[in-house]
Amino acid sequence: MMILADIITLWNNSWPAGLTMFALAVAFSIILLVADKKLKVAVDPKIESIYQALPRIDCGTCGYAGCSSYAKAVAADPTLLGKCSPGGAGASQKIAEILNLKISSGGALKRPVIHCHSTKDNKTYFGNYAGIQSCTSANAIANVQACKFGCLGFGDCKAACKFNAIQMVNGLSTIDYNKCTGCGACVKACPRGIIEMVPFTQNKIMTVACRSQETGKDTKAFCKVGCIGCKLCTKQTDAFTVNNNLAKLDYARYEPSEQFKTAMEKCPTGVIVYRGKE
Amino acid sequence: MDKISVLVLAFTSIVIVNNLVLTKFLGICPYLGVSGRIDMAFGMGMAVTFVITLAGCLTWLIDHLILVPYGLEITRYVCYILVIAGAVQLVEMYLRKFFPPLYESFGIFLPLITTNCAILGLCLFLNVWNVDNFPLAAVLSFGAGIGFTLAICIMAGIREQLNFSDVPAALRGAPITLITAGIMTMAFMGFAGMIK
Repeated sequence: MMILADIITLWNNSWPAGLTMFALAVAFSIILLVADKKLKVAVDPKIESIYQALPRIDCGTCGYAGCSSYAKAVAADPTLLGKCSPGGAGASQKIAEILNLKISSGGALKRPVIHCHSTKDNKTYFGNYAGIQSCTSANAIANVQACKFGCLGFGDCKAACKFNAIQMVNGLSTIDYNKCTGCGACVKACPRGIIEMVPFTQNKIMTVACRSQETGKDTKAFCKVGCIGCKLCTKQTDAFTVNNNLAKLDYARYEPSEQFKTAMEKCPTGVIVYRGKE
Repeated sequence: MDKISVLVLAFTSIVIVNNLVLTKFLGICPYLGVSGRIDMAFGMGMAVTFVITLAGCLTWLIDHLILVPYGLEITRYVCYILVIAGAVQLVEMYLRKFFPPLYESFGIFLPLITTNCAILGLCLFLNVWNVDNFPLAAVLSFGAGIGFTLAICIMAGIREQLNFSDVPAALRGAPITLITAGIMTMAFMGFAGMIK
């Protein structure tokens, strides 16, 4: 009975407030509705349909504030076509149809690659970090982990990904390329700059999963799977180059061939790995 | 006569002495965000003035005609936000129709007037200051908008000049702007206490 009485009191006290709010809301809706009719601006139907063809996630990869501003820009200047990587070729195709253009197929799709493959057990720590659990905060401390270049593992990139394509596996962010749209949000989120957009000429591409520019001796001391700059891979194919104790692959020259496979197998720390769709 | 002088004093007070931006630090976001060019700053000032006047008058009326008599002060914040958001929508439609270039250049800052704390702040200040007649409320609301315009235009003027001056590399951009804002605030602090 007590509860019932309380509900009735609550109702008696709250309905005037609710009614006032409702009346005000109705009044404002009517005013705005009239204003909307009176002050209507004709939008180019082309821009509207381009906007509909875009993914409408406002990720900003195209360099514009959002999908609507990109739609406007593309309608005015068709050379801007193809800047929408989440939409990919499909969106570009649709926009080209709307604008009556013929497009030839462009370069390879860009997808992010994480240049670190050191899980929690492979890294060395000087102490326990107990601060704010985000990479950006942790990165402010110089000695948060021994390797100054490796993945911090708090998942800022995972939080930035709208498509749920990044998972933290044993303290290392791992991209699910089936879900990834290449919007590049993770690249911006990573405070250490480990994530790079790479043109995927193949479904599965080879990459050097390390960013460490320490000498081989230091890298070995800090991480079990870092690049030590031994140059063994460059002996197999000159698509690999070593600068600042770090190997780098020229992705444009990668193809699934025997040389690359040998380079991968010869790598003493196993830092050359495949990334991409299984 | 007495009434008029009160209104004039109130206007001067809210524009110069109790300027919302420079002494209460409200509305800093557009103050720093849209003060790159004078014409944009002035347009922003006008938009805010319109919204703040409309919001101040309407909220005062709603407060004194509906909320206080019926004891519904609990819905005050929601009502205020409703009024402000509605007014911003009106401004947005109006600008889009009649000043498209201005509309484009404002970008995100135009809808952000909705969350401009100077406006909600003014509506709540009218309450805190116990403003009990409508003309005073109207003058104070209008004056707050003019005060915002004044502050943002001075800032834009200084920043246009700063573009051509030899600023140390470390201070270029946001830092020097914040320092300028601080110095301007200190200058306006000189007026403090002249009018209560």
